[in-house]
Amino acid sequence: MRALCWEGVGKLAVRDVPEPRIRADGDVVVRVRASSVCGSDLHLINGYLPAMREGDVLGHEFMGEVVETGPGVRRLRVGDRVVVGSVVACGGCWYCRTEQYSLCDNSNPQPVFTEKLWGHSPAGILGYSHAAGGYAGSHAEYIRVPFGDVGAFRVPDGVSDDAAVFASDAMPTGWMAADFCGLKGGEVVAVWGAGGVGQMAARSAQILGAGRVIVIDRLPERLATAAARLGVETIDYARTDVLEALREMTAGRGPDACIEAVGMESHDVGPSYAYDRVKQAARLQTDRLVSVRQAIMACRKGGTVSIVGVYAGLVDKFPLGAAMNKALVLRMGQMHAQRYIPMLLERLAGGEIDPGYLATHPLPLEDGVRGYELFEKKRDGCLRTVLHPSA
Amino acid sequence: MIGRATRWTLLGAGVVAVTGVGRAVARRRRRHQPERQDGWYVVHRGVTVDRPRDGVIDFWTDRERLDRALAGWATLEQLDGGRWRCEAAERTGGGRRWRAEITVESPGVLRWRVTDGPVAQEGRVELVDAPQGRGTEIRAELRYRLGPVRRAFGLAAGDEPDLALRDTLRRVKALVECGEVVDTRRDPSGRSPRQERATDKVREKLATGGRA
Ligand SMILES: NC(=O)c1ccc[n+]([C@@H]2O[C@H](COP(=O)([O-])OP(=O)(O)OC[C@H]3O[C@@H](n4cnc5c(N)ncnc54)[C@H](O)[C@@H]3O)[C@@H](O)[C@H]2O)c1
Ligand SMILES: [Zn+2]
Ligand SMILES: [Zn+2]
Repeated sequence: MRALCWEGVGKLAVRDVPEPRIRADGDVVVRVRASSVCGSDLHLINGYLPAMREGDVLGHEFMGEVVETGPGVRRLRVGDRVVVGSVVACGGCWYCRTEQYSLCDNSNPQPVFTEKLWGHSPAGILGYSHAAGGYAGSHAEYIRVPFGDVGAFRVPDGVSDDAAVFASDAMPTGWMAADFCGLKGGEVVAVWGAGGVGQMAARSAQILGAGRVIVIDRLPERLATAAARLGVETIDYARTDVLEALREMTAGRGPDACIEAVGMESHDVGPSYAYDRVKQAARLQTDRLVSVRQAIMACRKGGTVSIVGVYAGLVDKFPLGAAMNKALVLRMGQMHAQRYIPMLLERLAGGEIDPGYLATHPLPLEDGVRGYELFEKKRDGCLRTVLHPSA
Repeated sequence: MIGRATRWTLLGAGVVAVTGVGRAVARRRRRHQPERQDGWYVVHRGVTVDRPRDGVIDFWTDRERLDRALAGWATLEQLDGGRWRCEAAERTGGGRRWRAEITVESPGVLRWRVTDGPVAQEGRVELVDAPQGRGTEIRAELRYRLGPVRRAFGLAAGDEPDLALRDTLRRVKALVECGEVVDTRRDPSGRSPRQERATDKVREKLATGGRA
């Protein structure tokens, strides 16, 4: 079959690879119908998330059709149209049973690296390097999904492939980010990053009761899309002093909750950004922290900073003093896909969330390399490229 | 009807068989000398399984499940009431075989001793209730002894048995909690056979520890 493979830092290629097969009783094989790019892939492609190997198949946000089921699969049938959570969860450990799926104890068969780096190993993630289990990803005609009964969910009729695909990752991540904020109704929520994740976080915050949502980015077309689709206010951080603007918009208080949906390659204007980039390039620090710093500085006293942008290692100039003395609540994590997907599919079917507009560039798998270029360089208004392997 | 002691022994055999003891010490690593007692190297490891103690033991009564868990690399033979013989091959190949004798000491405690293998080795497994209803702690102690030649070559200087024991306990936990030990080797990739072999080595390091 054809698949989009990582070939080294910054290098991708579409290649012939062997087809997956059922290997464990709980496995299902899915014929991929739509497979999206995600901001996390950029961290992997650029070598900031470690342990990629030449030939690894990328992709973790996808949906498709079940074509084969292992003997232990009960809930799914061949022919089901399903969306699959990016995070692999066994369903039987304490973390899974308490719905903290991204912390599953048993789904990363290669846990030593993250145990050394972080003290414990979180769940495996499909198509997400050998530190996250070494699973083949979804930018391929077929993918093996372990623990199919736990991770794959039937898509309601009437929901299109290019909308359902985002219930895999961008929607649950955005929802969790807003969920972390503990909204009671009427709060001001600021969201850094107007990518797929940030936009879904903004929509989720609205649904969960935020009174005002303010989205921060520098890409005019993304800010315009967020304003038009979601009715949020926006700040262009390249033209405006973000902290000043937020203070002013909230009459001095600062946002009640700040969601960070940018991640380790965050961008900034000015000299400290050059310093951060040099340090990261030299691997003296693994992550650039611009937007997290801003979120902590901007947040009102006693407010919540919710981080869903991905970070891997050590950072510099983390404003711990601000967080401590302002008594902030910090929440963060990889999303618990399986906890949120069924609820999100209902909201999708009911029209309450419509993520279909994120799929600005539907392309055949063969155009995968170009698809990532469009996405990485944010060319042509690209929010997300969605690959269609069976097209 | 399999008796309780027997079931318990099967769990122990599972632990022993998965450990691949020979392999455990055949690797070298220089940091962290394990603790030594009367000429034995001693390592302790534990894992928490999210099932009550009876659940952990009962899991092993299913012969089919056990055979699948031990698939290929171990056989069990009952010697008498509380004693079993386990014969196994190293899990990662290499063809080396070893034998161990397993003895049920009391409900919840068993010991094993390698009777024929590359290293003198014995161990003990104990099941303890975890606090807050978090299931069962499987606590294991592994002791091994090495000859002077191995020591001279630095083979003794490792925490590898420690890692192997941890890997074993992780596997046992996974089998009880979700019925399988995930394996992603030979998932589809664009690698050549040579690249795949190199990647398998990386996978093994990431799975069990050891020097990358
Ligand atoms: N926690 C999870 O489970 C999870 C899941 C999916 C994605 N993610 C992470 O979420 C992050 C965003 O993902 P995405 O797919 O939306 O990525 P994306 O690349 O499409 O979007 C990131 C956006 O952040 C903007 N940005 C860069 N620097 C900024 C700054 N200083 N201030 C404000 N905005 C800035 C960029 O212009 C871009 O629009 C990534 O780090 C990704 O790894 C996390
Ligand atoms: Zn993602
Ligand atoms: Zn689990």
